[in-house]
Amino acid sequence: MGLNRLFVANRGEIALRILRTAKKLGLETVLAVSDADRDSLPAQMADRAVCLGPAAATKSYLDINLVLHAAKATGCDALHPGYGFLSERPELSRRCEEEGIIFVGPRAESIKALGDKLSAIALSKAAGVATVPGTDHITSVAGAQAAGEEIGYPVVMKASAGGGGKGMFRANGPADLAARYDSASREALAAFGDGRLYLERFVEDARHVEVQVVGDGEGSVVHFGDRDCSVQRRYQKLIEEAQVTAMPPALRDRLRAAAVQLTAHARYRNAGTVEFLYDVARQDFYFIEVNSRIQVEHPVSEEITGQDLIARQLSVAAGQGIGIRQDQVTLTGHAIEVRINAEDPLNNFLPSPGRVTAWQPPTGPGIRIDSHIRAGDLIPPFYDSMVGKLIVHAPDRDAAIEAMLRAIRDFRIEGPKTTLPLAAHIIDHPDFRANRFSTRWLEDTALPAFLQE
Amino acid sequence: MALKPADIEALIALFGTSGWDEMQLEIDGEELFLSRDSRSRLTAAPAFAAAMPAPLPVAPSVAAATPASAATPAATPATTPAATPATAVANVPATRPGHWVALKAANLGTYYRAPSAEAAPYVAVGTRVTAETEVCMIEVMKLFTTLRAGMAGTVREVCVTDGQMVEFGQDLMWIEPA
Repeated sequence: MGLNRLFVANRGEIALRILRTAKKLGLETVLAVSDADRDSLPAQMADRAVCLGPAAATKSYLDINLVLHAAKATGCDALHPGYGFLSERPELSRRCEEEGIIFVGPRAESIKALGDKLSAIALSKAAGVATVPGTDHITSVAGAQAAGEEIGYPVVMKASAGGGGKGMFRANGPADLAARYDSASREALAAFGDGRLYLERFVEDARHVEVQVVGDGEGSVVHFGDRDCSVQRRYQKLIEEAQVTAMPPALRDRLRAAAVQLTAHARYRNAGTVEFLYDVARQDFYFIEVNSRIQVEHPVSEEITGQDLIARQLSVAAGQGIGIRQDQVTLTGHAIEVRINAEDPLNNFLPSPGRVTAWQPPTGPGIRIDSHIRAGDLIPPFYDSMVGKLIVHAPDRDAAIEAMLRAIRDFRIEGPKTTLPLAAHIIDHPDFRANRFSTRWLEDTALPAFLQE
Repeated sequence: MALKPADIEALIALFGTSGWDEMQLEIDGEELFLSRDSRSRLTAAPAFAAAMPAPLPVAPSVAAATPASAATPAATPATTPAATPATAVANVPATRPGHWVALKAANLGTYYRAPSAEAAPYVAVGTRVTAETEVCMIEVMKLFTTLRAGMAGTVREVCVTDGQMVEFGQDLMWIEPA
């Protein structure tokens, strides 16, 4: 391994995940911690943990200067940003390069180009990969109505400068556009300083599918299968699966080919995920965006391929290429991952930090737990509420469903409330078993049913 | 003559290139023990890990340096260049009076005892300070912050050395209130 000492600029389960592979590969490890994470399992596992600042993320994990200084002062030659935090700040990638530290991720220009929605769409078009039928910036209601006619209603108007629902509305016809265009533009201006809107087809029954890729930065890209992440609440994934059995095989082949085509065209470096919207009614898919980092749900792709994606990341970072050819990647069986969030689903998902008094994960073949939590740990209130991930791998989707239900049943957690009971309800639901649901299903159907029980 | 960190580094480098398995050195009441075996220990005084600037030039295990006057409990010896060093150095009394106040680092950074390499240190043991007295600098990626004493009193102990990386919450110096 061409790298010597890896700085891990993250916390929780992903820090532990990265440390595991780094140690396996013989790297020395230095972990950044905030004051709240000094006694965490990742801190004990790293060769050295250095405390950046107080618990607040803005004063620790999100402070680029502290992170860089710590990596330099501890003699690290590489830095892994994990997911979230600084992982998709082009500035971190750029400044690591300036400081002579290898960034385990894409080049700064890639992160920047792919992070801007319209720029990513332009890139997709240049690569010959279909995007959601839509427009560039719309400048008038008349323009919006003309586009709506051409694309076909219903449509959605979105702000090009940002997301989260600001400046966004659905229009079922030209009257809706006329009624809401001006206020949406004002809302976008207030939220992002840019009131420009664009228009896209609104897909009624959409599924969220994505492809895991690793690129060598020189035009070669290998995919590690596809994932279905359609169980979402407020655009946050709760359950993810590999492989996408809701898509016919020929369409899946095209999906993976499109992901590889797009990222190869961009000379993408290191791990990434190409996200698509799957229009079930039209049996078509559209490029949405690229997440230029390792993702929370990467374990399901590891399970069906038997590959270590963090090791692939470190291999590319070390200048040793992806380390595997496409024809050497096999996809076997079905994997399901459930995110375990310390939240109370019966109380509007209120965060539930505090002391974990019991933590007994299930064990057995095909069961994997990615978590940094031990019995007795304190879940701090300063960060996101995910405390771990439960993953099962089985020969097919039905077997994986049964295995996951058993695993959740056998998982003993006491102390904080978690979303595990909701996950069990979802997985057991007839719609989930039949694999017939869209990205709105959890909020529209499954969650109300769960709350009524 | 006290062993300075630069001296210790030089001795470690020397030991590294030598064919020796073990080296025990005593200078003016201070002892330095180096071994290629991470399990071996200096049997006399309690072990006290020296502050080691990373990265270390020596690959084999290096056990801790030991000021003979130290009475603090044993700290973890450095077994790899990336192992957690404890804070180090001279001027450590057997027990620290309970009314002394620690000046702690507010964030990770590099500690500097003087405004520049050529200048005299801001303070030393014995320096009287007021709340406004500048006592050191912490540098983060070339951004320098000057720390002030924050209280009136006398500097009784300086815990860190010039150019050492310090972490959030680390004791930099102890001040006896006036």
